[in-house]
Amino acid sequence: MDYENSQEGALVRRAQMGDESAFQEIVERYQSKVFSIIHGIIRQRNDIEDIAQQVFSKVYFSLRNFDFRSSLITWIYKITVNECFDYLRKKKVRKLVYESDLSEDEVRRVENTEPAVDRQVPVDQNLARRDYVIKLLTRVSEEERTLLMLKEVEGRSVEELAEMTGMNENTIKVKLFRARQKLVKAAQRLDRTPVAS
Amino acid sequence: MHQVILDRLEEHLAGAPSSREFTAHLESCHECRTEVSEMRELSSALVALRSREEVAPPLGFSARVSQRLDQQRTRSFASLFWLDPAFGKRVAFASVMTLAVLGSYLITRETEYSAGPPNPEIIMAEHAPAQDPDVMLTTLASYEP
Repeated sequence: MDYENSQEGALVRRAQMGDESAFQEIVERYQSKVFSIIHGIIRQRNDIEDIAQQVFSKVYFSLRNFDFRSSLITWIYKITVNECFDYLRKKKVRKLVYESDLSEDEVRRVENTEPAVDRQVPVDQNLARRDYVIKLLTRVSEEERTLLMLKEVEGRSVEELAEMTGMNENTIKVKLFRARQKLVKAAQRLDRTPVAS
Repeated sequence: MHQVILDRLEEHLAGAPSSREFTAHLESCHECRTEVSEMRELSSALVALRSREEVAPPLGFSARVSQRLDQQRTRSFASLFWLDPAFGKRVAFASVMTLAVLGSYLITRETEYSAGPPNPEIIMAEHAPAQDPDVMLTTLASYEP
């Protein structure tokens, strides 16, 4: 049985026709997963709910465009990851705009008085690693990022990815390989970049 | 990277036991060995994005999603009648620029028409009777010796 005619496919169809209870069921079914994905990337508990709400709002308004080529969770996963990276990008821009209004001395003073969580050089190895990985993942396309994350973070196999995305296994392998090559190049460039003091 | 490695790269990075052919090639090919090693390192770095704890959605989350959707629907309906401030600013700026360009064009044309004193020969030629037969006939008819 293909995905479109599965039980979940029927649920999506109902939601696409404007059935609010079907959409609520989708939210209930995937909210935990969405929260976990966001927490893995963002780690800032205060913002997780806001991002999750934004994810489901995007799901709601673009559900009509969902064409059943991938599974619903793959589609939601992609939206969630994109939303997290968008959040991080906006946060970085806000930080730069904020700092550009201050003199160097002021920036230094603010950095010393701000809560440690945000500005401190990450002492925790995992946190430093996470920041590094996020930087690298901004250098690949959205599709490559989603595939890499599904494979490495979610631990999905190539066969599962093929089933989830509707692509064949060889295509998945080639796409993953190209994405990995880009990551390696990005890492080499990043490692060569002198660290700002 | 050589095909023999490429074919089994994903299984290798996922921790599956490698075939003898795969291992033998890696031992003999420096280029593949370096590339696989770099990819393995990044593959394990990506695990840092795995959520280490269960994050349960707070109570009432789906109700708040519905609330947000209601707000967005109202806002998108209202946006049919009101301009977005940023877009409005752009429209105003474009209008001012269009007016300025049109204004300067009209002023330039006016200056071109009125530039320099009128040439008497041109005026005489314009009013010469031969140019207008009706005027000439009227002049002849009204002629009284």
